[in-house]
Amino acid sequence: MGGKVSCTLGEVKNRADFVLYWGGNPAECHPRHFTKYALMPKGRFVPRGRKDRTMVLVDIRETKSVKAADIFLQIRPGKDFEALSILRALVKGQHVDEKQVAETGLTLEQLTDLVDRMKRAKFGVMFFGMGLSMTRGKHMNSASILTLAAELNAYTKFVAMPMRGHGNVTGADVVMRWTTGYPFGVNFSRGYPRYNPGEFSTVDLLVRGDVDAALILGADPGATMPQPAIDHLARIPTVVLDPKVTHTSRLARVHITTAVTGISAPGTGYRMDEIPLPLRPALRSPYPTDEDVVRRIHQAVAEKPDWMAAGGQTTTTQI
Amino acid sequence: MSLTIVDNATCAFCGCVCDDIEVHADEHKIVAAKRACILGKAWFLNHTTDKHYPDALVDGRETTVDEAVQVAADLLDRADMPLVYGMSNITCEAQREAVALAERLGGVADSHTSL
Repeated sequence: MGGKVSCTLGEVKNRADFVLYWGGNPAECHPRHFTKYALMPKGRFVPRGRKDRTMVLVDIRETKSVKAADIFLQIRPGKDFEALSILRALVKGQHVDEKQVAETGLTLEQLTDLVDRMKRAKFGVMFFGMGLSMTRGKHMNSASILTLAAELNAYTKFVAMPMRGHGNVTGADVVMRWTTGYPFGVNFSRGYPRYNPGEFSTVDLLVRGDVDAALILGADPGATMPQPAIDHLARIPTVVLDPKVTHTSRLARVHITTAVTGISAPGTGYRMDEIPLPLRPALRSPYPTDEDVVRRIHQAVAEKPDWMAAGGQTTTTQI
Repeated sequence: MSLTIVDNATCAFCGCVCDDIEVHADEHKIVAAKRACILGKAWFLNHTTDKHYPDALVDGRETTVDEAVQVAADLLDRADMPLVYGMSNITCEAQREAVALAERLGGVADSHTSL
């Protein structure tokens, strides 16, 4: 996600007078997001806390988060990209077609009002959840909201931030960025990193049957991925590192039990705003940490002949 | 039984990574997680130091970590295009090791972000 216009949650707390959530339900999925970071706290430039902020929620259905919103915009499912594109046009004062507006399930008045409020804000922030980034349009939707945030900076200060789910998934992006230059889906098969979502992203690799072994750690794709991907994981030799024997462990050749991150395994975790925080485990685990086991696997692999020194890929022709 | 209190403990359940949790633990389990939300509380209180699972399994057979590490290294090294996937519920230090392993293997490193 290089190049996104973002900030820390501390800046949101102290500055944001306009807060928008798009395709997420923080009241139930990130229960302290409102109270600790984005909505309720009194901040340096928003001394009255909630009273100084306007909160807009965009979602396809009424969730528990609606109660916390000043304005709720119920968008038609799968029309996020269209709505974001219309907002971008309205921000620039361009003409928009009423029929296209109607398709989003929203009215031109609602969207014009939203754009006015955005431009009037002193510091606006848009948080987007999986309702935006994992539905029709996927990463194009994320790109669209990030662009909207960037373009609003012609008028006022505006930022966008994804609402990350799993504990340290943000850390995975950050670590892969500084080690390889890319945030995810990095292919080393030519000896240097290559990045191409859709080609080197896991579901696509598995469904096409492109990979012939797998190491799964800190994830349970056997419980979450589409069936053809799971079928391929069962076909190839799979190694699982997890604190529990998971669905994926059951179809794997090797399972190694590891300590629980943050409970009994120390280290660093990244918050969704890319702030690294130390984990302070309270328990001692009878199991080794993931870090320790991966390092030992790496050492065992390093004792074998280097595949790159032996001529690189086994395919003889490269395009 | 002694009670450990970890002030400003960090909750690694969701992306909020709240770092103001007061965790009370005895030697065996976490007994309280003050200031944590409903999800964080459930996460903290759900773990003990019990050994519920075998150290390692190879083809469904219980074994030592040493043997499992060796088998894992053999399987991954033999592959032309191994995949290293997940990395969401592990520390940055473990993620760094995983990326290094993927590079050595000439495989693919990927996370939940790609879903």
